[in-house]
Amino acid sequence: MAYDISALPYSILAGSIFIIVLVSAVAKLYNGRKVLFALSSAALIAVVLASYFLFLSGSNTVFLNIFRVYPFSDLFGMLIASLLLLVNIQAFGASGDYNAFLSLFGFASLGMFAVVFASSLLAIFLGIEAMMIATAFMIIIEHRHHVEAAIKLFLMGSVAAAVFAFAIALLLPYDPALSLAAIPGLPGAGKYLISLSLFLIAASLSFEAGIFPFNLWIPDVYEGSPGYMTPMLAGINKKVAFVAMISILFITFGYYVHLFPLLFVALSAATMLFGNLLALVQDNVKRMLAYSSISQAGYIMVGIAVATQYGIESSIFQIFAHAFMVVGAFSIVAWLESRNIKTVGDYAGLASRNWIASLSLTLFMLSMAGIPPLIGFDGKFLLFTSAAYAGMLPLAFFGVINSFISMYYYWKVISSVYSERHKEKLRLTRSVAFSVAVALFMVVIVGIYPQPLISLAGEASRSLLALV
Amino acid sequence: MFPLFAIIIGIPAVALLASVLTGGRFGKRLSISSTLATMVLSLYLAASTFFGNFAPSETYGYISALGINLKFAATPFSVVLLLMASIVLFATALSGNPEAEKEGTAGTLILLFQLAAVGIFTARNLFAFFIFWDIGVIALFFMINRLGSSNRKKASYKFLMYEIFASAMLFFGIILLYMTTHSLDIGYITANASSIPLPYQAAIFLSLFVAFMTNMPLFPMHAWLPDAHTEASTQGSMLLSGVLTKFGGFGMLLLFGMLPIAHAYALDTAVAASFSAFYAAFLLLKQTDIKRVIAYSTIVEMGIIMLGVSTLNQFGTFGAVYAMLSHGVTIALLFLVVGVLHYVFGERDISKLRGALSGSKTLSYAFIIGVFATTGIPLTATFVADILIFLGSLGAFGIYSLLPIFTIAVMGWYLYLVIDRSIMNSKNPLPVLNPPGLKQKIGIALLLLAIFAFGVFPFVIIKILKG
Repeated sequence: MAYDISALPYSILAGSIFIIVLVSAVAKLYNGRKVLFALSSAALIAVVLASYFLFLSGSNTVFLNIFRVYPFSDLFGMLIASLLLLVNIQAFGASGDYNAFLSLFGFASLGMFAVVFASSLLAIFLGIEAMMIATAFMIIIEHRHHVEAAIKLFLMGSVAAAVFAFAIALLLPYDPALSLAAIPGLPGAGKYLISLSLFLIAASLSFEAGIFPFNLWIPDVYEGSPGYMTPMLAGINKKVAFVAMISILFITFGYYVHLFPLLFVALSAATMLFGNLLALVQDNVKRMLAYSSISQAGYIMVGIAVATQYGIESSIFQIFAHAFMVVGAFSIVAWLESRNIKTVGDYAGLASRNWIASLSLTLFMLSMAGIPPLIGFDGKFLLFTSAAYAGMLPLAFFGVINSFISMYYYWKVISSVYSERHKEKLRLTRSVAFSVAVALFMVVIVGIYPQPLISLAGEASRSLLALV
Repeated sequence: MFPLFAIIIGIPAVALLASVLTGGRFGKRLSISSTLATMVLSLYLAASTFFGNFAPSETYGYISALGINLKFAATPFSVVLLLMASIVLFATALSGNPEAEKEGTAGTLILLFQLAAVGIFTARNLFAFFIFWDIGVIALFFMINRLGSSNRKKASYKFLMYEIFASAMLFFGIILLYMTTHSLDIGYITANASSIPLPYQAAIFLSLFVAFMTNMPLFPMHAWLPDAHTEASTQGSMLLSGVLTKFGGFGMLLLFGMLPIAHAYALDTAVAASFSAFYAAFLLLKQTDIKRVIAYSTIVEMGIIMLGVSTLNQFGTFGAVYAMLSHGVTIALLFLVVGVLHYVFGERDISKLRGALSGSKTLSYAFIIGVFATTGIPLTATFVADILIFLGSLGAFGIYSLLPIFTIAVMGWYLYLVIDRSIMNSKNPLPVLNPPGLKQKIGIALLLLAIFAFGVFPFVIIKILKG
């Protein structure tokens, strides 16, 4: 059979993911750090390019009944691959055992891409498990003292997995293939079973996504993880959980959209408030950012609670926005932590020690607080207007009040950064500087001119809703 | 046609970028040249509006997916306020820092604030309005936090929490407007506001009013202002009082021009504004720090400006714009003079500052003229403004609306007392620590010139305002 040239992007996509896994498999057998790094990075770049090409072509193709390549998955393929690239670069620059990292990195990436490109509930289930287990081991490899965080993540993830398995088992009578396809509206008892399944899936994905009340593990795990793993946990794992949540909720439960506000309005409001209130009292900056990322998850949930096309578009935008903000901020925070600068008090005088890092951290935090013209503001504007459009004014108002509260703790850090003078300079390592530069580019440039990303998110959300 | 607004906004943006990328080394020079260029451009804009029907407007596509454009236009109000802001900004950048402390940082922050000020007064889209609003707040937060005196941290927090509350309210109001009119264009909203259901109009009015009254400030949201002004550097105080409070005043003008429901609330806001003026005037009598006295006089003036906005007639509205113009240059002059007095004599307490007249005639006479201008002596700009405002309020609310005149009397009495006790008192004069520099004198001269120019030739501004 002749090779059809139009299949080339798909081949590149699949081939690149395969190469990442292959690199992973040989990582412990072959010692060439640089070769493996170059191969894995090149493969990730190829994933970004192939996904972008497929996004532009607007294709919608199902493979093997478990994977689907369509604009929604392409967009997140791009996001996840580029974030993985940043994490890979940081891990390469860090002092730990890079080969051990890489041997798990491939499997985590495989799991993430399986979730993003899934067309089957089983693919999502297996993908999340692969991601979670690999991540838990990646936390330990650098040092024994991270074991507490890893076990916490592993235990929580296992409970979530059990709940998830139970939830999809409930769907089995209605869709024996467990494919990611809409389940029609059912009368009577069936309706209650489906609703139960919906609530359970929401609960289990809430573990990974950090939604109230399943988010108590987040600060401990983030704080106890090595430097390059915190950006990965907050910037990638969490976003993958959101991708899974959005695609299951709006495809499988596409005929049950009327239930979403019932469940998610309260969850999103509680998540915002919980994260913000606890962040107010933190002294350790990493913990503060962990709580702030919980509150950001609450903002993302606003779009899901609204359950309109505009709402999904806003959530997708905010997922992008927060991913880059948090990767940038955590990269700087982790870099400082490795120099034993941890609390808000320790941050005093950072501006005189490294003004670029201080300025970047300031911009990331301003963006998270929703100050224009940075990307976080655009995301909040989209989310709160989508809530207002759907008639959920109290939710929009609550969100606005929450971003006002959040300002306080971000400013505590910023004010400390610019307070004293310090003689001793600090130098950004090259790998951290690269991540920060990429994140800063997204936060500032896309923040000032958000139109391209908004239209990408719009197209992705429409392609998602077209499947129902 | 040549893109006037793109240039007006582009100059500080480019200068800011240059200043940040060079680590603030050229901050002072860049801020002076950028503010000078803006002043020249806004004088050109004002002159062409005066001599002909010159009403440029520019629209740039921004977020087409949401129907948001960046529209900039020269409305009569914006021409006048832009002129005021650019004069104050130039004087601030040139002469506000006699101690020459942290000039790079100060210059960079002035550029950031300049970007906000020129943007907010020319924006005709609420999205852009909000963006520039928050940029301005952040610039001044850093200005207080990094360049102020000993208690600056606490003051800057207080300032920030009030201002961010204001911006959250503004954000909510903007979301409500976007939801009800599907547009953020100020012109479009003004034309279609009567179709917004009344409960929504009331909610929008309330949230925007709270936002702007916090910024202006009016009682009871004024608590940030005295501390922020006292702790800020001279440049910070000049910009806070001269320009930032006008963001709120300008917002009030937009709000009252936009929503028909404002007519229903006009009397309430007028009473609130008068009460705020009285409250501040009596608190002013308790102050011993000259800078704090002037800070309280800002609240008095802003109350009177709010009274003018509330009248909703031409006299009152023009008076409010005129008062913002006059108050901006006057208060900037007073803060500049007090800052330089502090630099020259090392003191700004009323009971301790002695011998200013014999030590520095320039500063003393500038202070005295500044006090004259604040209290509305004829031939100064405030005189015209006050006349217009009280004519307007007399027409709108009747004879009792003239009561706030007494706040000016109370304030004036105390300010003359300050002159008598402190500036003109030459018993045990303080030694001159540092003579004032030429730059400071140029800045003072520029602001004095503005005060008299707007006071002697009011028809220029009135013609611009009439459009």
